Amino acid sequence: MTGTPLPAARIDVRPHACPVTWVKARIALSRLATGQVLEVLLADGEPRENVPRSAEEDGHRVLRLEAAPEEGPGTWRAWLERGPEPEERAWP
Amino acid sequence: MALTEAEVARYARQLILPGMGEASQEAFRSARVRVTGGGLAAAPAVYYLAAAGIGTLWIDEPDEVSPGSGAGFALGPADLGRPRGAALAAFARAANALVTADVFRPGSRPTAVLVCGSSSDVSRAIADEARLLRTPHVVADVDGQGGAVTTVPVDAPCYACAARPGLGAAPTQEGGATVGALAAMELLLLLSGASSEPVARRIEVFRGTPLVRATSRQPGCACAGPAAAGLAP
Amino acid sequence: MGATLSGMSALVVGAGGLGGPAALALAAGGVGRLVVVDEDEVEISNLNRQPLFGDADLGERKAAAAARRIALLHPGVRVEGRDQRFGPDVAEDLVRGCDVLVDASDNFATRFLANDVALAARRPLVHGAVLRHTAQFLTVMPGKTGCLRCLFEAPPAEGTVPACAQAGVLGALAGFAGALMGAEALRLLHGERGAYAGRLVAFDARTGRSRLVPLRVRASCPSCSAVAASTSPGER
Repeated sequence: MTGTPLPAARIDVRPHACPVTWVKARIALSRLATGQVLEVLLADGEPRENVPRSAEEDGHRVLRLEAAPEEGPGTWRAWLERGPEPEERAWP
Repeated sequence: MALTEAEVARYARQLILPGMGEASQEAFRSARVRVTGGGLAAAPAVYYLAAAGIGTLWIDEPDEVSPGSGAGFALGPADLGRPRGAALAAFARAANALVTADVFRPGSRPTAVLVCGSSSDVSRAIADEARLLRTPHVVADVDGQGGAVTTVPVDAPCYACAARPGLGAAPTQEGGATVGALAAMELLLLLSGASSEPVARRIEVFRGTPLVRATSRQPGCACAGPAAAGLAP
Repeated sequence: MGATLSGMSALVVGAGGLGGPAALALAAGGVGRLVVVDEDEVEISNLNRQPLFGDADLGERKAAAAARRIALLHPGVRVEGRDQRFGPDVAEDLVRGCDVLVDASDNFATRFLANDVALAARRPLVHGAVLRHTAQFLTVMPGKTGCLRCLFEAPPAEGTVPACAQAGVLGALAGFAGALMGAEALRLLHGERGAYAGRLVAFDARTGRSRLVPLRVRASCPSCSAVAASTSPGER
């Protein structure tokens, strides 16, 4: 019992390259409510490093980042928790 | 309608901007923007609006392309003598195959206007027309190597209220590109909905440095509406 | 103004969102020779902000496509597209062959190389960059103003700043910044004082505000010290 909510949505960005990997994840996150979780399937290497980092920079939380060989060779799974509305919405 | 794969790939770099995303891109796609006024800022402004994915561009530039008409950003010697509106529309379509760009036809109702007047009198007349139709507009004035961009959301202080005399220097190509791109930026920010309260402001660029001012209404200006003009019951 | 620039040449590093409009401004301003360096090819995610390219150029080498486009719009300008990385092996020769260097690159390694080579070759440098909603400008006049290393000392460690392709860019802001960089280079070629010489100007598109940071030569700056050492007493 971890208390972690199960993913409300799941996307597979393995076919894509930077920056579309993060764009797809960001759009999927924007469709969730704060606190909901998105599962993202990622290729190893650049996407595994950059997508979780970009998510954190954007105010979301990385709950899990783990190898997911059962999904395919070299696949990683990230669980991203949707953060609050970005502060940039409040403009001067 | 959700964004297509082609749109996600093309607009990737603006889709990940703070405050922007799927909703702002859809707003761009459904916008219909009229670009008009005959000034040097029009060609660069058309480029940045088309490239960002403004779905419909109507270019209202009846004059012919001439060497001094700001052709150098978008149009070359091969375009000299062509009607400027049609030439810029073709350029916009070549820049972004996903958008529709055509010459403006009278009676069409834009959702926003980009005013690139060849003089402040020209800009003033077009801006007033947009204000009376309650259409948000952005005005680009080229002045030497720089100029000014005035953003006028609906019900904001009008262009005439915001305008201030500049240097009155002869417009340059680089001034046109500077102010045209800045005007496109202001219009895109306005249309993106990223700001809950649309920003009425004027950015002046002289000697390479942008300076911003909030715009305010001149006492008695017609843009305050009937109440301020003393016509209210 | 008014003097012709037909005998002058400018080097633009990067043909993208900043370099494109900067090169167009230089060409329109009448520079005689324009060298554009870029090692990339045109990708779909470039097309929201790079005015030298359209759908027909997808997959093409940027240097060639940029040179072709500029020549089409400005046949009077001698344009050279260099399809290569602006690396230590070629940078100094390229910079020595030009009267002004415009750094429109997208990474810190290239920015610092451009800075060091401009100082070594004693050529003025117009630096510009955009990230998300911010644009920044700095003009380096070797021997007279501070430089990028006076400001930052060294490139930030990898991973501490977003890799460019991961960070958002507002295309029109890049266009605004690139045009300002081109205008600044034109001022320098005309012998006028640069608007960003000795001061960093940072513009925030959301607030519309500009921040001006005066920049002096830092006594311990290795790049500026090398220039000072190579300056003859008479020149000082």
